[in-house]
Amino acid sequence: GKRRGRRAVVRCQQYPPLRALQASAALRGASDEHKKEPWASSSQQHFDSPPAGHQPEQKPQGPHPSYTGQGGQESEDYESEEQLQHRILTAALEFVPEHGWTAEAIAEGAKTLGLSVAAAGLFHSDGSELILHFVSECNTKLSELLKKEQKLVQLGEAEKKPIDEFLRDAVEARLRMLIPYIEKWPQALSVLLLPRNIPSSLNLLTSMIDDIWHYAGDQSTDFNWYTRRAVLTAIYNTTELVMMQDSSPGFEDTWRFLENRVADAMTMSNTATQVQSTGEAVVQGLMGAAVTIKNLAGLNQRR
Amino acid sequence: MTEGINKPVIDRIIRVDHAGEYGANRIYAGQMAVLGRSAVGPVIQQMWNQEKNHLKKFNELMVAYRVRPTVLLPFWNVAGFVLGAGSALLGKKGAMACTVAVEESISEHYNNQIRTLIEEDPEKYKELLQVIKQFRDEEQEHHDIGLEHDAEAVSRILGWGSWRSRK
Repeated sequence: GKRRGRRAVVRCQQYPPLRALQASAALRGASDEHKKEPWASSSQQHFDSPPAGHQPEQKPQGPHPSYTGQGGQESEDYESEEQLQHRILTAALEFVPEHGWTAEAIAEGAKTLGLSVAAAGLFHSDGSELILHFVSECNTKLSELLKKEQKLVQLGEAEKKPIDEFLRDAVEARLRMLIPYIEKWPQALSVLLLPRNIPSSLNLLTSMIDDIWHYAGDQSTDFNWYTRRAVLTAIYNTTELVMMQDSSPGFEDTWRFLENRVADAMTMSNTATQVQSTGEAVVQGLMGAAVTIKNLAGLNQRR
Repeated sequence: MTEGINKPVIDRIIRVDHAGEYGANRIYAGQMAVLGRSAVGPVIQQMWNQEKNHLKKFNELMVAYRVRPTVLLPFWNVAGFVLGAGSALLGKKGAMACTVAVEESISEHYNNQIRTLIEEDPEKYKELLQVIKQFRDEEQEHHDIGLEHDAEAVSRILGWGSWRSRK
C-alpha cells in the first residue's frame, strides 16, 4: 500500500522563504535518487513544510530535513512526506484545466493548503508526479466503483452484466474521469510516455486493466490471461485517443467506437477458441507421432 | 487472505509452482502417450492423476491471490510433453529415470519454498505451507515409486553379479 499508517498534520513554525527553498531543493535532490520508481516509492522522509500563517506550537522534529528511512524519531502528530505531497497534488488538480499539468497548478494547489508556492519545487517541472497522481486516483476510484457494483450483484440487488457490457461500462466510467481535464490530456499523455515515466505509467495501466478483468470475473490461469489483458489494453488505449479528437455531443462518437471495439473483441474470442482447438489437433498429432515412432522401433509390444 | 502478505514473494511462489505442476502434467501425459498400454501404464496414470490435483489446487490459489501465470506456459506445454514422450521412448527405465530426476528437483524446490515461508511468517502463511508440504510429500512418493521401478533393473544386475561371485 502507499501509506504507512496515519499521522496527523504537524503544526509548523514560520520559516523564512530561503529555508523553504533550501528544504525543497534538498528534497528534490533526494527525490532524484528515488527517480527510478517514483510511483512505487514508500520511503519515509522528514519534512518540515514551510507554511504561511500557522501558529508555532512545537519545535521541529529532529534534523531538518533528514532521510533516515524507516528509523528516526517519528512522533504521533507527524505527516509523512508522501502524504503531504499527495495532499498538494490533489489540491493542484483543481487548477489543471486553467494552468495545465504544470508547476503553476501545483503552486496554486499548495497555496490553497496554506503552504508556500515554493512547495511546487518539490516536483518535476513537467508535471510528471501530478499526472501520475491523477491517474492513480482515477484508478482507485474505478476500483471502488467496480467493487461496489460487485457487492450489489453479490447481494442480489443488481443483475450480473454480460461480459461485453461490463467491459464497455468499466472503460467508459474510467475515461469519463478525463472529461474535466480533456483539453490538457494530450499533454499529459505525452508526459506519461517519457522514458523516465514509462515504468510507472505502464504499471498503473496494467494494474487498471487487471482490475477490470478481475471484477469482470476472469479466472483464467492459462495464456488467455495475457490475451484478454492485451486485448482490453488495446481497446482502452485506442478509445482514449479517439476521445481526444472527439467533438461530438457527450462524446457519443467515442462511446460508439468503444462499443464496436468490444464487439470485435468478443468475435475474436470465438476465433481464439478455434485456435485452441487447432492447438488440440496439434497435440493429437504429436501423440500420434509418438505412437508411430514407437511402432516403428518395435517397442509397442506388451512388456 | 490477501491482506498484509508479502505479495512479490507469494506471487513468485505460486507462479513458479503453477508452472511446475503444469509442466509435470505434460510430462506424464507424454509418458502415457508412449507407455500407456504397457505394464507400467497404471503406475504412471496414478501419478499423473495426483499431478492433475496439484495443478487444480494451484489454479485455485492463482485466482485467490490474483497471481499472473507464467508467460512461458505454451513452451512448457510442448517441452513437458516432449520430455515425457522422449524419456518413455527409451522404455520403462527411461521413463522412471526421468520421473526420479524431475521429482527429486521438485521436492528440493518445494523444500526451499517451505523454508522461505517459515522464515517469513509461518502463521500468516499457514494454509499455503500446508499445501506445499503435502505436495512435497506426494512428489517424494513419486520419486520413490520411480526408484522402485527403475531400481528393479539395477537390482537385477546386482543380483546376477552376486550370484556369479557366489559361484
